[in-house]
Amino acid sequence: MSQETTPKQDERFARGPQKTYSLMELVRGTSPMVDKGPDDTVFSFPVVALIELLLLLGTTVFLLFFSLLRDAPLEELANPDIVTNPAKAPWYFMALQELLLHMHPVLAGIIVPGVVVVFLIILPYIDYDNSDAGRWFATKRGPKWVFFTALYTTLAQAFLIVFDEKMGLRGLGAASPLILQVIGPILFGVVLFGIPMFIVWFKKPTRREWMLVIFTIIIVSAVVLTISGFLFRGPGMHLYAPWNMPDGYNPWSSL
Amino acid sequence: MTTWSQRITRSRVWRSFFRHGWPDNPLDRSLVMTTNIFFHLHPVKVSRASLKATYSFGLGILATILFGILAITGTLIMFYYVPSTERAYEDIIFLQTKVPYGQLMRNMHRWAAHGMVLVVVLHMVRVFYTGAYKPPREFNWIVGVILLLLTLGASFTGYLLPWDQLSYWAITVGTNIAGYAPFIGPDLRMMLLGGVEVGQNALTRFYALHIMVIPGALLLLISLHIWRVRKDGGLAAQRKAEDSLNIVGEETL
Repeated sequence: MSQETTPKQDERFARGPQKTYSLMELVRGTSPMVDKGPDDTVFSFPVVALIELLLLLGTTVFLLFFSLLRDAPLEELANPDIVTNPAKAPWYFMALQELLLHMHPVLAGIIVPGVVVVFLIILPYIDYDNSDAGRWFATKRGPKWVFFTALYTTLAQAFLIVFDEKMGLRGLGAASPLILQVIGPILFGVVLFGIPMFIVWFKKPTRREWMLVIFTIIIVSAVVLTISGFLFRGPGMHLYAPWNMPDGYNPWSSL
Repeated sequence: MTTWSQRITRSRVWRSFFRHGWPDNPLDRSLVMTTNIFFHLHPVKVSRASLKATYSFGLGILATILFGILAITGTLIMFYYVPSTERAYEDIIFLQTKVPYGQLMRNMHRWAAHGMVLVVVLHMVRVFYTGAYKPPREFNWIVGVILLLLTLGASFTGYLLPWDQLSYWAITVGTNIAGYAPFIGPDLRMMLLGGVEVGQNALTRFYALHIMVIPGALLLLISLHIWRVRKDGGLAAQRKAEDSLNIVGEETL
């Protein structure tokens, strides 16, 4: 028998090199552990119950102290006749509102979020090899790829936002819908997805690594768009430094 | 000689409540988990690798805890709040100025709501980067995506209820985005608001969604989500590559 093929019993669990194994006794029974290797488990009670109790107490105490220090915002009574400037959605929708500034509403409000949700739902059916499940970043080059993708996406997304603000694609769009509806989104697509995925292509990524790159682009884009929309947009939805907003507007007051 | 604690735990009443002994042995530690409706969502045993703090960061548990805090503080606020455009804003002022600990309850509800959105997103990011969505956990990943959307919905519908300028214009802007959908957009927005503008109908609908429909769906799906973690073999955490697949039964010895 050649050494290359794994013996049948070793396929079920790998033998520890420091241990010796011998048959102690034969047991007749229907335990779920029959035919399985030794498992590295502990009883949930009391360990898990204690962890949960500690997290519950910690969260409650933290929230209690934070709530003593900072009050929830409350502005004047709602008035449909006075539009606030800027008028912003809650922070978790600011990525969408920010995107709306850069492209056609159907694209920014429906198609892009729709594609993201569909991507999330079909993800486990595209990338189904579970041999690397349960390990952070899966492969050796995984962490490096995620880091550089995140770095590139942050810089590219920030550049696109500032570029659009300075060049005023929105203003040009009024003159030619072609720019707003075709060139703008294509620019976003090529810079954000095209360039990094083209570079990654040469490294012969596995499916898991493709997913790492795509998911990182999506999540980092969402974070940058949210921060830009929530913190850097002031009156007229123009870009300002968060500490230097005109008219005394404080972006944090809308939490 | 029997002590008081023995007398209590051996009593007919105690034994009708708890069907296990003191959990200091494997059998009773298993029974604690399987005879308690809350613990029953958990597995009886968990792998050591899944307990490592830097694997899961406890984000799923944190999200559930925040949901619980939101349910409790939200219920307390409900005792003082009427979802009417005439009264809503005044009720919030009353809650903050006249009700003992009213301001504190509202603060906790607000910050826990933001915290839950943040924690749920971080939880999804963790599950993605650890590859925990892979078979056999595909279905639970989809349940998680729905839970994320429901969490956003719960937070968004609650945002309107104080009926101040902040909430009014945030909901106007937010629902305008829904209105951009081709064909169904305007109808969708109409259905959500019960009119063309944010008004009493919108407040009534958002209130019903916020206190009943979405929390109800969340409660059901969170239970399903946690129970399913157990059914899919606990957390995906693995220490060594060779532990990943434990295929048995293709051949018996």
